[in-house]
Amino acid sequence: MLIEDRTMTALHSALTGLAERQRVTADNIANINTPGFLAGRTDFETALKGAISDGETPTISGGTVARSLEPTNTNGNNVNLDSETVIATETGLRYQLALNALDGKYSLLRSALRTT
Amino acid sequence: MALFDAMSIAGSGMLAHRKWLDAVSDNISNINTASRTSEDAFKERMVTVQAVDYGRGDGGVQVAGVSFGSGEGRTVYEPGNPLADENGYVKYPDIDLGDQMAELMMAQRGYQANAAVIDRATDAYKAALALGKG
Repeated sequence: MLIEDRTMTALHSALTGLAERQRVTADNIANINTPGFLAGRTDFETALKGAISDGETPTISGGTVARSLEPTNTNGNNVNLDSETVIATETGLRYQLALNALDGKYSLLRSALRTT
Repeated sequence: MALFDAMSIAGSGMLAHRKWLDAVSDNISNINTASRTSEDAFKERMVTVQAVDYGRGDGGVQVAGVSFGSGEGRTVYEPGNPLADENGYVKYPDIDLGDQMAELMMAQRGYQANAAVIDRATDAYKAALALGKG
C-alpha cells in the first residue's frame, strides 16, 4: 500500500509502544509513595523486532507490561525515582525520534504528490 | 487507552500528594493545640493512598481514605491555661514534629516528581501534534 507501508506501520507500532511506556512511567511516579506498589515495565521492542526480522508487518499494540522484581522498600514499594526519570527522558526523546522519522516519510509522500 | 493518559495519571499523583501535604500541614499547625483533659487531644490525620486498578486499568493513584491517630495525647500541668481542669492539667496532641517534617518532604518531592512528568508528557504530545506540518 502506498500510504501505509511497512516502515510507517513499524514507526506507528513504536510510537504506540513508547506512548504506553510513558503512561506506565507516569503511573509508577504517581504511585511513588503507595505502599505495596511494584513498578511496571513495558516491553514492545521484542515483538516489534521479531516481526521486522521475520519480514512481517508489525501489529500495532502497546506491548506487554510486567511488574518489576527489584527489591522493595520497607513499605513494599519498589519505584525508583532515578530510573523512572531516566526511562521517562529516554522515552520522550525516542518518541520524538520516531515522530521525526514518520514526518520524513510524510514529506517524501508530499513531494511525490506534488511532482505532476 | 485514552488520549493524553500520562498527563491525567501524573495529575492523580499530584492530587494524592497535595492531600498528603494538606494533612501534614494540618497536623503541624495543630501541634500545640491544647484541649481539656475530659476531651480527646487533636488527632493526627494520616492519608492512605492506593494504586488505581494496580496498573491494569487507567492507572494512577487515589486517596483510599484518611485515618486518625490516637486522641490520648500527653497531659501537661498548665494551671494558667483557660482550658485547664480543676487540677491544672491540659492535654496536648502526641505528634512528633520530626515525623511530620519527614512526611512533608516526601509529599513535596512526590508532588514535584509528578509535576515534572506532566512537563515531559507535554513536550511529547506537542511534538505529536506538530506531525505532518513540516
